[in-house]
Amino acid sequence: MVEKKTASMKRKRAIGNAVTYLVLILMSVIWLFPFFGLIMQSFRSYDKAVEYGGMVDYIIPKHFSLDNYKFLFSGETNFLLWYRNTLIIAVCVAILQTIVILCVSYALSRMRFKGRTFLMRFWLVLGMFPGFLTMICLYFLLKQFGLTQAGAVPGLILISVASSGMGYYVCKGYFDTIPASLDEAARIDGASRARIFFVMTIPLSKPIVIYTALVAFMAPWCDYVFASYVAFGYDKSYNVAVALQRWIWTNDYQGYFTRFCAGGILIAIPVTILFMFLQKYYVEGVTGGAVKG
Amino acid sequence: MEKKKINPVATAFGALGRDLKELGLTFAEGDWKTRLSAVIFGFGPLMRGQIAKGLAFLSCEIGFILYMVFVGWKYLSKFGTLGTVETTKSRRVTVYGDNSFLILLFGLLTIILIVFLILVWRMNMRENRDEELILRKGGHLPSNRKVLGSLLDSNFDKTLLALPVTGIFVFTVLPILFMICVAFTNYDKTHQAPTNLFTWVGLANFRELFSFGSTGFGKTFMAVLLWTLVWAFFATFLDYFLGMAVAILINRKGIKFKKLWRTILVITIAVPQFVSLLYVYKMFANDGLVNGYLLKWGLIKSAIPFWTDPMLARITIIVVNIWIGIPYMMLIATGLLMNIPEELYESARIDGATPLQMFRSITLPYMLFVTGPFLLTQFTGNLNNFNVIYLLTKGQPQSMKLAGNAGQTDLLVTWLYKMTVNDTNYKMAAVIGIMVFVVTAVISLIVYNMLPSVRDEGGFQ
Amino acid sequence: MKRMMKAALAGGVLAAFLSMSVSAEEIKVWVADAVTDFTSAQIEAFKEANPDFAGYDYIVEAVGEGDAAGNMITDVEAGADIYVFAQDQIARLVTAGALEEVAPDNVEAVETQNDAGAVGAATVGDILYAYPITSDNGYFLYYDKSVISDPSTLEGIIADCEAAGKNFYMEINSGWYQTAFFFGAGAELTYETDDNGLFTACNATYASDAGLTALKKMIELKSSPSFQNGSSVDKTTNAAAIVDGTWDSVAAQDLFGDNFACAKLPTFQGADGETYQMSGFGGFKLLGVKPQEDEDKLAACDALAAYLSSEEVQLARYNEVGWGPSNLNAQQSEEVQADAALSALAEQLAYTIPQGQYPGDYWTLATSLGDSVISGELSADSSDEDLMAALEQFQATCESYLG
Repeated sequence: MVEKKTASMKRKRAIGNAVTYLVLILMSVIWLFPFFGLIMQSFRSYDKAVEYGGMVDYIIPKHFSLDNYKFLFSGETNFLLWYRNTLIIAVCVAILQTIVILCVSYALSRMRFKGRTFLMRFWLVLGMFPGFLTMICLYFLLKQFGLTQAGAVPGLILISVASSGMGYYVCKGYFDTIPASLDEAARIDGASRARIFFVMTIPLSKPIVIYTALVAFMAPWCDYVFASYVAFGYDKSYNVAVALQRWIWTNDYQGYFTRFCAGGILIAIPVTILFMFLQKYYVEGVTGGAVKG
Repeated sequence: MEKKKINPVATAFGALGRDLKELGLTFAEGDWKTRLSAVIFGFGPLMRGQIAKGLAFLSCEIGFILYMVFVGWKYLSKFGTLGTVETTKSRRVTVYGDNSFLILLFGLLTIILIVFLILVWRMNMRENRDEELILRKGGHLPSNRKVLGSLLDSNFDKTLLALPVTGIFVFTVLPILFMICVAFTNYDKTHQAPTNLFTWVGLANFRELFSFGSTGFGKTFMAVLLWTLVWAFFATFLDYFLGMAVAILINRKGIKFKKLWRTILVITIAVPQFVSLLYVYKMFANDGLVNGYLLKWGLIKSAIPFWTDPMLARITIIVVNIWIGIPYMMLIATGLLMNIPEELYESARIDGATPLQMFRSITLPYMLFVTGPFLLTQFTGNLNNFNVIYLLTKGQPQSMKLAGNAGQTDLLVTWLYKMTVNDTNYKMAAVIGIMVFVVTAVISLIVYNMLPSVRDEGGFQ
Repeated sequence: MKRMMKAALAGGVLAAFLSMSVSAEEIKVWVADAVTDFTSAQIEAFKEANPDFAGYDYIVEAVGEGDAAGNMITDVEAGADIYVFAQDQIARLVTAGALEEVAPDNVEAVETQNDAGAVGAATVGDILYAYPITSDNGYFLYYDKSVISDPSTLEGIIADCEAAGKNFYMEINSGWYQTAFFFGAGAELTYETDDNGLFTACNATYASDAGLTALKKMIELKSSPSFQNGSSVDKTTNAAAIVDGTWDSVAAQDLFGDNFACAKLPTFQGADGETYQMSGFGGFKLLGVKPQEDEDKLAACDALAAYLSSEEVQLARYNEVGWGPSNLNAQQSEEVQADAALSALAEQLAYTIPQGQYPGDYWTLATSLGDSVISGELSADSSDEDLMAALEQFQATCESYLG
């Protein structure tokens, strides 16, 4: 009797597992398909002598070639410059934004001062305004500083960093979980707030520091809207998103689709690798963020 | 728990009254140094040896005066009209007149700085008062070293927050105030700085938004708002439940390569959306891969209009968004599911509960409780989810039924963006931006009060 | 004073950027990516021929006609001093104060040396605002000889495409391509403007039998499984015919290879049994000069714009990238006369109207009309009344753009 029951349960579980595997495999195919398609397209030549370079209705190229990648590295366009711009923006934003967020989070988590709750509520309300609303105003503000067109790269860094203090939630939530008694003990030993912050809190917060930096690093690679608004008319200040979108959406560039795909792959590689290595921290960050809201 | 009724207006007036009284005392009882401080900021502290504080106050005043003389006054004086001098031609050379845009921007900044200066002035007077009180009691004022040192200790919050708060003020608060003002002007393509002036028009733009005539924005605004809400609802909850389901699937006992499955899904987060979504868009186009293969295999006779049929386009967007959203939600759910005590399931299993029952009575309540506020932020985030819509359809297809160049898949934000960039219709964009804020704020308030974790402070038992 | 303000705001480091950006006397030129090298070379030649103007720092940036107008309008100050734009943007640019009138000394030359359509396109009210450089922004038919036996009727083209399981591309949700049907069936839509680019009068007859015929034909075309909405060769798949312009001729040759052919637009048979020749716009690329605060710089810009739109440069540009000239002499040259795409266009031009000025909102409105057809909101099932109501609304909205 008992044996029979376990046997049927076992069979049930086996069937369940089989179905689960099937679903997971199917999902993997669906999730990976667009990337597979992109990679395949990027190996299709744009040279008409080899294969037609526009849109086609098949996935696997008839001839594999590295022409698109060669083109991107050839210096015919400023691709490497755009890539460098984006990398500079991403690295600077990652560093500066992390610093800002750590400062704000520490102040809000550990210190009690006049206007603290007001500040938090006020920022919450500010966050309810749609970001693009202020685009034109930000453009002209940056222009007063000479940070548009030729100065667009530092301009974009400034904009990303300046308002980043409002994104303190996740990080503050993490600080809140570090026992306050640690701080108290250190203060009794005569350590100043600043010392506690630098010597104790930050080293204890490695996961959240990495998470904050990773998220900040990834954002500039997708920034099309604001970057194109700030850098317009100055090719050398474009980031990859602005430059590559142009290949697709304006009529001046015929046969650039496969090159776009190759460019996209080149952007995706570093971000994906970094992400794979730091996935653990990312998960910790988003989970923490979800719980704290 | 009984809540005391507090009248905020009365409280504010009370505080103001007390403050004025204290100010009176400061003057009445203060010495000449204090009184002179009312004109020369920080004079008192400087004379009393509080060099650091004194200089800080004084530099605020000097900076303000310089700003007013060289910049502020020029713009503030024209703030009421936003400029009157037209752009003219002298022979073939253009002589630009007033720039309404800069007048509005810097006029606003000047007003804010004046308010700021009044606050600084008040702090300056209070500092004088405090110092006098200490001295009168025979106490000693802290040394400059100590004052500066406190910035790294008891006043460390000021050091930490100074730059971030300034940044947010200049690059978020000021622009938002500016755009709110624009909603009350006629700033659009025929009134564009620097060549043309624009000016205040009162509530005219709001009336246009709520005019339901044939060319009015009213009907369109309602249609776009409705779709924005529907979209945010599906985008939030479908992703939430499906993501949770996938997490549970991967977490099943006996499933191998858990890490591999997760990693495969998570790649979508790492690849920039402007690349992946463009490809997805092309895939589902009428002449794209999906239709191409379906036609080739003879499964359909003519292409499925994934993007050109309004209803289908909305559904496709929501489905594609599931593709984007599941991995993210899956990650979160995986972490949270591990926190549910295994004993809860064990005892349920002994009671003979089916997996579905266990999900309904254990997993779901727990998840909803823990992630309530997160769901709310997800929802408001989706209300403003620009990327997915814009990178897929750009809000298209358009329709003769909609005014203001809105498309049938446009959210309020994408509509706002198109108005700004394509039509330079800044005044209406500003009005819509304000409406987005109102919608977000109202929903947040209502939902926030309904959340179990807010209603029931006791927590999940 | 302005400097002080900026310095006060920006602080020392940022002020450095500022002084950098104002120091050199620059003349910024925006052209499409395909002709940046060509334009740079021409500017060198210009500097040699005009030593007076050689002192300026000429900077050529790749900003295509599609983006130029939008960018100019966003911020005139940061925009180019000389830029190429498609003529449909001209009224908008004049209104925004982004276009200077053509220098009085150059007006006569421009008006006599370019074709009448081009001059009309560059004129707003009674004032000539821009220098025409091409007269090839019209459209016609590219097709695959092996699939389409007879390109003279729309019905025949569609039948051939359907039989071969191939696609026919035409961007019917564009206000530009749509007119092929409306103007072809006899409907009219023209505007008049004052000298400041504000629209003063509208002559629209879309809400008529002619308009109805055109709309029904668009609906019929859309119902074919072979129909695809689009007009860019490199974004097509499985195409056998494309309604497109000369800028795509190289791409179309790549696509169709040995079977490449082009022709004027076909005729179509209306629901009323009559046969109509598809019409459309003849369009032009124009070169504009931004209003200047400095007289010498304006003179330099005028001279350079005149040079870049001259007969020699237009011809050289044709030889370099195949853009059909607007200059009458250049049009008569042997090379241009022998060009297949340009001759198809020339043939089509007999049936088109030169494109005058249209408000920016017209283009998006037309997209709405086209999208309503494509999405099936207006379909073969719609009654004549429904269709007429849509056309009436379209016409009323067109008329509402005045003032």
